[in-house]
This record gives sequence, C-alpha cells and structure tokens, in this order.
Amino acid sequence: MSDTKKTVIELKNITKEFRVLNRSEGLRGSIKDLFSRDYRIVRAVDDVSLSVSQGEIVGYLGPNGAGKSTTIKMMTGVLEPTSGQILVRGNVPYLHRSENSQNIGVVFGQRSQLWWALPLVESFRILKDIYGISDRDYKDIQELYRSLVDIDELLHKPVRQMSLGQRTLSDILAAFLHDPAIVFLDEPTIGLDVSMKSKIRELICELNEKKNTTVILTTHDMGDVDALCRRIVIIDKGRKIYDNDIEHLKGFFGSYRTLRLRLGEDLKKEAGIVREEFPELQVTDDEEWISVLVDESRIRVVDVLEKIQQTHNIKDMQLEEISTEDVIKKIYDKDRAKEDDPLQDGEGREV
Amino acid sequence: MKKYLTLTRAGIIEALQFRLSFAVIIVGNLLYLTVIYYLWKAIYASAGTNVVNGMTFTDTLIYLVLATALFNFMEMYTVWEIGRNIQSGKIVLDLIKPMPYRRYLFWSFTGSFVVQFFLTFLPTFIVVAVLTKGAIRMGANLAFFVLSVIMGVIINYSIDFIVGTICLYTESIWGINIMKQVIVLLFSGAVIPVAFFPEGLKNFTYCLPFRAIYDAPLSILLSSGTADSSIISTLLVQLFWCLFMTAASVIFWKISLRQITVNGG
Repeated sequence: MSDTKKTVIELKNITKEFRVLNRSEGLRGSIKDLFSRDYRIVRAVDDVSLSVSQGEIVGYLGPNGAGKSTTIKMMTGVLEPTSGQILVRGNVPYLHRSENSQNIGVVFGQRSQLWWALPLVESFRILKDIYGISDRDYKDIQELYRSLVDIDELLHKPVRQMSLGQRTLSDILAAFLHDPAIVFLDEPTIGLDVSMKSKIRELICELNEKKNTTVILTTHDMGDVDALCRRIVIIDKGRKIYDNDIEHLKGFFGSYRTLRLRLGEDLKKEAGIVREEFPELQVTDDEEWISVLVDESRIRVVDVLEKIQQTHNIKDMQLEEISTEDVIKKIYDKDRAKEDDPLQDGEGREV
Repeated sequence: MKKYLTLTRAGIIEALQFRLSFAVIIVGNLLYLTVIYYLWKAIYASAGTNVVNGMTFTDTLIYLVLATALFNFMEMYTVWEIGRNIQSGKIVLDLIKPMPYRRYLFWSFTGSFVVQFFLTFLPTFIVVAVLTKGAIRMGANLAFFVLSVIMGVIINYSIDFIVGTICLYTESIWGINIMKQVIVLLFSGAVIPVAFFPEGLKNFTYCLPFRAIYDAPLSILLSSGTADSSIISTLLVQLFWCLFMTAASVIFWKISLRQITVNGG
C-alpha cells in the first residue's frame, strides 16, 4: 500500500503568464501592429498547487480556455512555468525533458502520435526502440493488450485507414506502451460514438488497475468523469476552484435533488400553482413533467411532497439525483458570476 | 543508436508507400533539365567560345544536372514540417519524445534521404556517367563525394532548422521559407555554377555556408585533376560549417524554446 500513496506529481504555486500583442482592428490597425510593442500579460495559470499520488485517476476539468492544457503542457515539460515549483516523479520536467518523457505518456484526442502511413505495429516497434523497451516488457504489454482489446484486427492496419475510434484506441495503447508512471489524456473521447466511448473508458480503467498508472484526464464529457474519476480538480480562469472527491462534489452547493411530478390535466396551470406554493424553489415544466429542484439542506423532499399532495392529485412521480454535469455547470456559472466582467474572452485572467 | 536507426527504417517504409511521387519527381526533373539544356546552349552559342569561365558546355550541363539531382534528395522541406507542427500544435507530441527534437526530426528524415538517394540521385548519376563517357572520374573522389554529401546534408538541415525555429516567433511559414529557398539555391550554386559568379559575388559566396551544401560535393565529384589538396581543403571548410551551423542551430533552438506558446487546446 505504501506504493500507492507515493506522490508522483507535485505542483507548488504554479503560475504561467503569456505575453500577447494587443491587436488593433482594421487594415490601418493591422499595419500599425507590425511595429507595435504594446503587449499585455495574460495569466493562463494562476497560483495552482496540486499533488497527485501514484495510481490515482484525476479528472481535470474546467471550461474552454481555463488553463487545463497549459497546466498539462507544464507537467509534460513542454512549457516552463513563469513561477512556482513543479516536480514529476522528482524531476523538473522542463529541465529534464527527455528523462521526464520516459515517465509520461500522452494522448491528445485531436492529434495522433502514430505514424500516419504505417500499420500500427510499425508505430509500436518505433516506440519500442525510442523508449528502449526491452523485448520481454514489450511482449508482456502486447499480451496484456491482447487480453483487453481485439488488437490483432488493428495491428496491421495503416493508421490513416482507421476510424477515429480505432485511432484513439491505438493512441491510448501507444501512450501506455513504455509503462509510464503517468498518462495524460486530453479529451480522449472527443467525437466518438457511445459504444466506442464506453470501450475507451473500460480500457483506461483496466490499464490503470493493471499497471497502477496515474491518469490525468481532461474532458468535457461528464460521462468520462462519472465512469473513471474518484477525484476531481476544477480550474477556471487559471485558478483552482475545486479539488476533492466526486462524492463531495454533489454536496458542493448543498444537496440538490430533482423531484419530477405529473399532476392533474393542465400542466402549465398546475406548475403555476406549485410555483406559488414554493416561491423559494426552482420550478420548471415541460410536456410531461413538472420539475422541482429541491435543496435538501434547506427543505426535505418528503415535506415538499407532503404539501403538494394535500392540494393536488399526484398521478406519477420520480426522484432524480443531480447529475455531475449539472453540478459542474453550476460551479462554472458561479465562478463566472463572481467576476466583475462576465464577458471575458476566456483566454485567461488578465492582470 | 538503435533508437535513431529505427526512425530511419520507418522513414524508408513511409517513403516507399508513396511510389507515384517518384514518377512525378522524375518527370518534373526532365522538364526542368530540358529548359536548362536549351538555356545554357543559348548562352554558350552567344559566347562564341567553347569554354566559359573555365567550364565547357558539357561541364556546365553535368554540373547542373547533378545539382538538380542532389537538390531533390537533400531538400526535405524541414521548414514546412516544423512550421506545420507549430501551427497545428503537433509539436507537443514530438517535444515529449525521449530525445531532443532537433535530433528526432533529423533522424525522421534520414529514411527519406536514403530512398531519394537510390531512387533519384543514383539513376541520374549513372545516366550522366554513361552518356558523358568518362567525364566523371571514378576514383577516390567518389568516397570524398559521399563524405561531402553527408556534411552537405547536415549543413542544409541546420540552416533549415534555424529558419524553422524562426517560425516559433512568426507563426507563419510561407514567406520565410520561400526567401530561404531562393537564398540557398542562389548562393549554394544549385542554379548557376559558382564559377560563373562575378568576382565580388564569388568572394562573398565563399564567406557563406550555402556553398558547402551543393557546390562543395559537386566540385569534388567533378574535379578532373588529382588535386587532392584542394579536395581536402574543401572538406575542411565544409567540416567547419558543419560544426558551426549545428552549434548555432542547437543554441538558437534552446533559447527559442522558452518562448514557445503551443497552439491549440
């Protein structure tokens, strides 16, 4: 058990700033820009601290432009932080890029590291040689892959002829090939169909289990998060706003549940009456259901039901847990609302 | 070494996938060489003598045919590759390979060097050698030539890599690459033999690294006398540029990489 507790990634007060030219508009502005030295500093990552243990699967979430990829690029050693300390398995990634690369694997959902024109097996052979994987380890991992997915069908197919799903699957296998301690998955299920998504999730889950690999997963698909992550880190505008278990996430805004009711004949009218009875609750209605969002830390669902039941004839009812997606949306919205200027360009916080 | 050779191997397999492109290159070259033939024929006709600047018509033609063949196999479009990788953000994936990017890219190209050498340069060379019946000396100069070509490749790659690094700052490729190509082709002697340059320009050219790419190996190959000392001095000049440009490109890349702001995501 001591092995599983080992810290593999350690970020201390990491900040990354970019210098961006202030662009003027129009033709005249564009010409003026050629000689402009008018830069502004954009802070993409702002004082983020984070510690990840061996074997964890961490969901790294945030709206577009929140600074997720920038953080990942710093952990892979591609970018150098402006300030703060970063250690990946005891290495400073940007100083020892080559050593660091032996410890990490990367999958970007929209790009492939595989050799486009060659069959998958050739890509594997190249990776075997450049990462210096021994014949024995290579054979073992092939065996493992064979037990997890139908790899023989893929091995001799040129990557350019693969479907997006097959390619993503192959890219994930390629990232795990040299048995790295950490694998970064950047939107691995983007653009995939439902069955492929679940296949990919299963694969990630099993590789994590078998190899005890730490997985850092960025995604916008809450299905990925629900299926894979126990811990979630959320950043927005470069700052960390949440870092805890997924169970706690649901209680982050009080414990919400949705009560769905079917009452009487005229839904619109009934919804109006319920709304009057519970002015503090959010009541919505659609074709079939009246939905009441209940914050259980303030009022119990049973009490709401009791009260409605006295005046209405309840034909049918459902009780729903709030989904991760809804919670995340609320967190993003809340964080946006806190800012004075809600119309920021999402590139990061300006200073 | 194995991890580099595997990239060469992959490059060879990859290059052989696109067999039609060889046919296109060969047809394109034939058209270009036809133009060259008539152009220089006209130049020699108007000159009224058989020897211009110490070169006969045959000498000039052999030089230019081989220069074209050499260009085909040396030009790896490194600048395009780097520029495209920067623009698409794919460079991230190459940067996290367990070897320096500069080396990774170079060895990725070597497979294609090998294929191009055998499929375009060598056939051209044999055809020229047979047609001109002994105008090319078959001796020790061939060994020196190979050595010289390898250094030429390294110098060319270093120059390309420096220009490619500039793309990190500009984030555009086209103009920079075109400018580089024109400068290299002119000053390397790939379009006009350096012997034809006016005295001032010739001296200027001798101070630049470009001559060491195409003109140096060709002058070694076509050297008629047994002036081995001049071959050695050419090789030494090449060696100097080889080390100098490699160091320059490595340092420039190191400095520039801190500046990188990878696109996308």
